[in-house]
Parts: sequence; C-alpha cells; structure tokens
Amino acid sequence: MSESILTLSIDGKDVSAVAGQTILEVARENGIAIPTLCYLQGLTPVGACRMCLVEVKGVPKLLPACVTRAAEGMEVTTQTPRLQEYRRTIVELLFAERNHVCAVCVSNNHCELQDLARRVGMNHVRVPYRYPRLGVDATHPRFAVDHNRCVLCGRCVRVCDEIEGAHTWDFMGRGIECRVITDMNQPWGSSETCTSCGKCVHVCPTGTLTEKGRAAAEMKKRLQFLPYLTLMREARP
Amino acid sequence: MSNKIRLATVWLDGCSGCHMSFLDMDERLLELADKIELVSSPIMDAKDVPPNIDLTLIEGAVSSEEDLHKALAFRKNSKLVMAFGDCAVTGNVPSMRNMFDVDEVYNRAYVETADTQKQVPRSVVPALLARARPVHEVIHVDVHLPGCPPNADIIFYVLSELIAGRMPDPMKIGKFG
Amino acid sequence: MARTIVIDPVTRIEGHSKITVYLDDQNQVADAHFHVTQFRGFEKFTEGRPYTEMPAITARICGICPVSHLLAASKACDDLMAVKIPPTAAKLRRLLNYAQITQSHALSFFHLSSPDFLLGFDSDPAQRHIFGVASRYPEIAKDGIWLRKYGQQIIEWLGGKRIHAAWTVPGGVNAPLKPETRDKILEDLPKGIEIVRRTLDFWKNEQQKFKEEIEHFANFPSLFLGLVTPEGNLEHYDGFLRVVDADRKIIADKLEPTAYHRHIGEASLGDSYLKAPYFKPFGFPGGMYRVGPLARLNICDACGTPLADRELQDFRALRPGGAVLSSFYYHHARLIEILFALERIGELCNSADILNTHVRAVANPNKFEGVGVSEAPRGTLFHHYKINEQGLITWANLIVATGNNNLAMNKGITQAARHFVNGSDVREGALNRIEAVIRCYDPCLSCSTHALGQMPIRLTIVSAKGEILREIARG
Repeated sequence: MSESILTLSIDGKDVSAVAGQTILEVARENGIAIPTLCYLQGLTPVGACRMCLVEVKGVPKLLPACVTRAAEGMEVTTQTPRLQEYRRTIVELLFAERNHVCAVCVSNNHCELQDLARRVGMNHVRVPYRYPRLGVDATHPRFAVDHNRCVLCGRCVRVCDEIEGAHTWDFMGRGIECRVITDMNQPWGSSETCTSCGKCVHVCPTGTLTEKGRAAAEMKKRLQFLPYLTLMREARP
Repeated sequence: MSNKIRLATVWLDGCSGCHMSFLDMDERLLELADKIELVSSPIMDAKDVPPNIDLTLIEGAVSSEEDLHKALAFRKNSKLVMAFGDCAVTGNVPSMRNMFDVDEVYNRAYVETADTQKQVPRSVVPALLARARPVHEVIHVDVHLPGCPPNADIIFYVLSELIAGRMPDPMKIGKFG
Repeated sequence: MARTIVIDPVTRIEGHSKITVYLDDQNQVADAHFHVTQFRGFEKFTEGRPYTEMPAITARICGICPVSHLLAASKACDDLMAVKIPPTAAKLRRLLNYAQITQSHALSFFHLSSPDFLLGFDSDPAQRHIFGVASRYPEIAKDGIWLRKYGQQIIEWLGGKRIHAAWTVPGGVNAPLKPETRDKILEDLPKGIEIVRRTLDFWKNEQQKFKEEIEHFANFPSLFLGLVTPEGNLEHYDGFLRVVDADRKIIADKLEPTAYHRHIGEASLGDSYLKAPYFKPFGFPGGMYRVGPLARLNICDACGTPLADRELQDFRALRPGGAVLSSFYYHHARLIEILFALERIGELCNSADILNTHVRAVANPNKFEGVGVSEAPRGTLFHHYKINEQGLITWANLIVATGNNNLAMNKGITQAARHFVNGSDVREGALNRIEAVIRCYDPCLSCSTHALGQMPIRLTIVSAKGEILREIARG
C-alpha cells in the first residue's frame, strides 16, 4: 500500500485524507455535512448542481467539494454566509425554473429538493417563477417522467450509462431548454434501449421519475441498491 | 383590551385549509383569545379592512383583481403581514393554472362543461389575473409560513413568538407541501 | 330590470360573494342575486396530470371538506381502473367520511352559525364569532371545539394529518387501520355522542325562538337530491341517487350516480363564478333542487341507526307528510347527521374485518372515462374525469355540493330580502339575516367555486332605474 495520507482542515477541524479523495468524501467521513443534489455515491461526480460549493483559503473562486480533491494543508470552509446565500439562491432558482408543487407531488415528504429547501432556509423564492408548460411522458408501461419536477441533476443519465450500461437517458437542448430525453428524444415507451430496470427512477432526487400508480406522497425512492451494485462489480475480476 | 394583538386573517385564492388548521389549535384557541383581538376574518363578521392591524395572516395566492386589492389594502393597514401556507408563499396548487391561458381556464369551466347558457361570467365578478402569484410578489411580506397546510403546532408556535415580540423562523420546523 | 348594472369589484375590497337586491318601480324587492366571486380552474389545470394525483390535487379545492374530494376523486379513479375495492378499504373510506362529517358539521353549527343563535342576529357584529360565544357560553364553545377536534383527530389518526391527508388513494386506502387507532376512536366516542345529544336537546328547544327566520329563510317547495342506500336509507359514500319533491314523493330513484350527466345539467350564469346545476327532466331553472343534510333527511326512508332514527321522527314531525322545506332546519338536520355519523363510526370500528390488511386494489387504468360520487357534508359531490391511453387527464368536470344549491340559494335570498328589506331602507340585522340564509346551506365557497371559504358578503340595493341605492359590506 503506497497510499499517501494528507492532512487538511475543514471548518477549522484538522482531518486526514487519502490522496485522491474529494473534499466531500473527507468531509462526510468526518461528519461534516455539505449539501448535495447531483452527487450520488456510486456514480461519477460531475459538479453540476453547485450545491456543494466550498471556500478554500487562497483560492479566489468557490470550488465544488464533490469534484475537488483534498490537498495537503488545504483550509476548507463549508459554512459561510456567502456560501449559505449561494446555496439558497441555487435552490430558489431550481424551484422557479419548473413547476414544483410539493403539496400534491408523488414525492412529497420523500424529496431531496424539498429537504434542501428546508436545509438552506429557503422560506420563499425571491425570483419570479417561470411556469413553463411541460408535459408528463407516461408511455412506459411501468414508469413516468414528469419534466415539471426535473432539476437536471443527471443522476438518471449516469446510472443508466454507468451502472445499467443502457445509456437510454441523455440531455437535449441548452440552458433553459435543456431536457432529459430517452433515446433520440422519443417517447419512453418506444425506447429500444431501455431495459425497464427502474434504476433511474430510484436515483431521481425528486418526483420527476416515478413508478406509475403512485398517489401523492407515495413515491419513496430506494437508493440502497447502488453501493451494493458498485461493490459487487468492483469485486469481480 | 388595548394591549391585545390586533389580528386579521384573510383568504385569497386558497382552499381555507390554512384557516381550518388555525382552528385545529382547538383548546389553544381559547388561550390565544386572551392575547389577541380578532379584527377581521372569514370566521367572523367585520367591516371592510380595519385600521391599525398588528398582524395579518394571508392565506392563498393572488389570483384575481379582488385578491390583489385585498392584499394591498391589508398591507397598508398592517404592521406585519404573514404569508400563511404554501399557496401564499409559493402559489402552490392555484398556480397550476399559470401553465394555461386564462381563457382556456374559463372556457373549460363555463362553456365546455356547461349544458345551457354557455358563457364566461363577466359581470359583477372580479376578473382573473393572467397568473396566480405568491403574495410576496405583490406586497412586502414579513413572515413566510409554508405548509399545505402548516399544522396547528407550527401556527401556534409562530403566533406565540410574534405575540411575544420575537421574529420566528418557521423553516426550523416547517416545510413545503 | 337592472341587468346592466355592473358593480365593479376593482375599486373595492370585497368578500368572495356578493348579493345584489333589485327593486321594482315601487321600491319593493323584485329579485336578488347571489354572486360567487372566486374561480380557480381545477377542471382545466388538472389536464396533463396523471390520474393518480387527482385525489391529492382536488383535495386542495377545499380545506374544510378535503375528505369529500379525496373520496369522490378516488372513486372516479377506481372507476377508471374498473376495480371493485376491497370491502375493508370501502369501510375505512366510510370511517374517514363520517369523521369529516362530524368535524365539518360541528364547524358549521358551533363555530360559524351558533353566534347568530346564541348572541342574536342583531348582536354586535364585532363580537359575533366563536370567541364571542366562548366568552358568553364557554360550555357550548367547548363542546363545539371538542366535537370538531374529535372528527379531525380521527382523520389525523387514519391519514397522518388533519387536513389534506393523502391516505385515500385510487384502489382503496394506502394503510390499514391499526388496532390502537381503532381503540382510541372508540374510547372517545361516548363523549361525542353525549355532546351531540345534549346539543340536539338544547337546539330543538332553542329553534322555537326563530319562528320568523324559519318562516322566511329559504322556505319553499323544491326538489331534494342525494344518495341513498339500495334500501333507501341515509347514505354518504355510495349507493344510488334519489330525487324527491316537496311532498316527499319520489320523482326519480335508483339512478346510477356515474350516469349523473343524464339527470343533471349545468347552467353558466353571467354574474357568478358558481354554475347552477338543475334536474334535467324539469329543465332550467325549473329543475331547482336542494342537497345537503336537509335534503338527505328528506329523501331517505330511514337513517338506519337507532339514535338517529329516533331523532328523524322528531325531524319528520316538523312538516308531517311532506319534506321539511325551511332551510333554517339545515342546522337541525346537521346535528342529526353528526349523531348518525358517530353511531356509524362505532359500528364500523366494531365490525369484524375492519383491521383487515388487504385495503388496496392494484390495476392500471382500464377505462378512458370515470365518475366518482359521494356525499360531502354540504351535499352531493360529482367528479368526472377523462384520460388518455397513458392515464393522463384530458378533461375534468366537477359539480360540488354547494353548487347544487345555487338556484335554491338565489331563491332563498330573494325570499328573505322580500321579507326583511323594505325599500331602500335596510335594518342592520336584515343584512345578517340574508347572510344567515346563505349560512343555512353552510355554503363552502371553497368548494363551490373550487374557490374560497365562508362568507364575507356585500349587499347592494339596486333601484329599478339601475341606480345603486345602498351598499352594506361585511367581511
């Protein structure tokens, strides 16, 4: 074992890390909570949602903890008024961008976005809501995708590509027009690559990807399978 | 009498569930009755918009011209305004109509599903605004209390804090939905 | 008549309903219109949503009786799935409905209407509310609060929260009844029954004082409509539609609720957001009918529970041989229904299979159109949905309890206005009495317009020339 051990500080606490670990991993190992949304253990981190931004002494810009590697002597701060304001603003923008109606959502009480809102102290949204007219694709026999609730975290895209190996999901369009799509932007039910494994549904943090037949507040996501799957794969020769 | 908090409660475009949740304080209502004077509320008879209100709770989104005027009038006469519940705070279910044009919404209800006298009501009734909006988009809001509805315990906590002259943080115990 | 008068709401702060009284050349009341001023658009904005969300979405029509919408929506979804739900699930839905009837009727009687009776129609408006009752009649206020709490608590115990619980779902309910919940419900039940019986005794005496109100509060012949059991008894969840006339003669019976549209039409009104349903065979507006507690007791042959049936005899004696016509007796009917609901809660909790854990039928949608009908506290509630092959809503229509009473409420306020309004000179108490006519129906304007709650009112008196002579506002 030639792993080199680093020492750094997070929120004033001295912690050690194995070279190659990200700030987020080290923080979590040490019980320091940094909010995340697009990050999911078992999938490649992409630093897309910017919820995990942290301040590193000597670095002028904010860095996403999920893709920034720990370095010797690094001084990381995870909770500053600036970070808290940024995180709240990010969550507000997500709520304003699409139509999130928590009260009647199938994922009510089981939603990572809803939890984040509370965690970052978002008591209201300070930017105007957009109210885009987005649809639900329920052509798949077992699952549905509701674009009104999507935050474009890309977990579905990654789990489908990296774990299931089907790469049914992808993104289409840029900026405000960006959508998750199945195959060549065709109805999910007509997708020839989808194996109907349901992994995308369970990694989705909101009520976007759901099992059909679920009533409000009934869509609980099961995430436990992911670490097992990755562990099993790594264990094979 | 004079040192009681002058409280008003208002319904805009909501379901009255927040007001019902207010009543769900049950026996604690009687406790509150010693500390507050209800000066305007749908559960009582009162004149238009009373003066010198200490606290107004607004339930519902701002959806019609009447809602808008009410919000403005109560703001003018109130020291503190609280957006009371998800509809007031986020627009919630009433804002689901914002994905459609107002005329589409009217037509479904008064033309397509009517059997006789098919017509959109235009006289006496206040017109819908183009969009149902959260209260803070039209007036300044001092306290935001989310929930569909906020449960009675949270309402009691927030009111007790305000009565005691402290500014509560409803997000500590509240949530959307 | 002054049909061209538009009272521009933009310039005023008004309630969610208004009444316009039109006078003739002799300054006598010619007509009165009830305007509901809030509109929300559920029929349209549910378009595109999965049908499985309809119970939760439509529950947001009304925070007073969300359970009614949960039930009608869930039944419409059962119909779309073409399933018959497990018997225990049906019982649990009934249990939830009786809990709601208890809390909603208690709210109507104690919190909203009792200030009129106890403090007086002419008492100080500033004190005419539940807090005013609490200071003068603390025992009655406590009874009311307790009874409403009991109903709300049952809903909370069953569904996790008191308002907008998401427990009733397409195909049944999403969790079985726990034995300890059943025990808690049963433990408090005797106190509830005691309170209602005490209140009924008090009220049967008290209402004698209101002869003038009984005489003039929407007291006229009309049709009555509602659900009855296959045997013709009082029903709130299922069964068939029955229509009777003022003589309690059955006009139509055993109507399949899902075929409501063959029997009930809807008229749009130019000056109200509340449509006016009518009984189709009698045309518009001749097909005026009433729904709700008064109608349900008028249409049924019996309640089917011992205590309520005893009370029903007293109720029938109010107008022997015919239907009870004065809307003032809605209050009386409401109390009898609370008693009935509590008796049924006891029966259901003691039934053998109530703890059965098979409480949900699972299916995909199998039909493109579904209807769900139940009796809300205020009357018959219709939900009607159409879906596409993906199970997404393409069209919805809702006829809510209070809407059914629209024509009767208009007629009722005209009658009251003729009696209590003389020319342009209006006594203060007259306004409250006209308002109280509306309050008899316990109109839930949240529901009726898929809009808003109870009842701030603006009364406008309009002359034959169309001049606004007087306006009185409250709320």
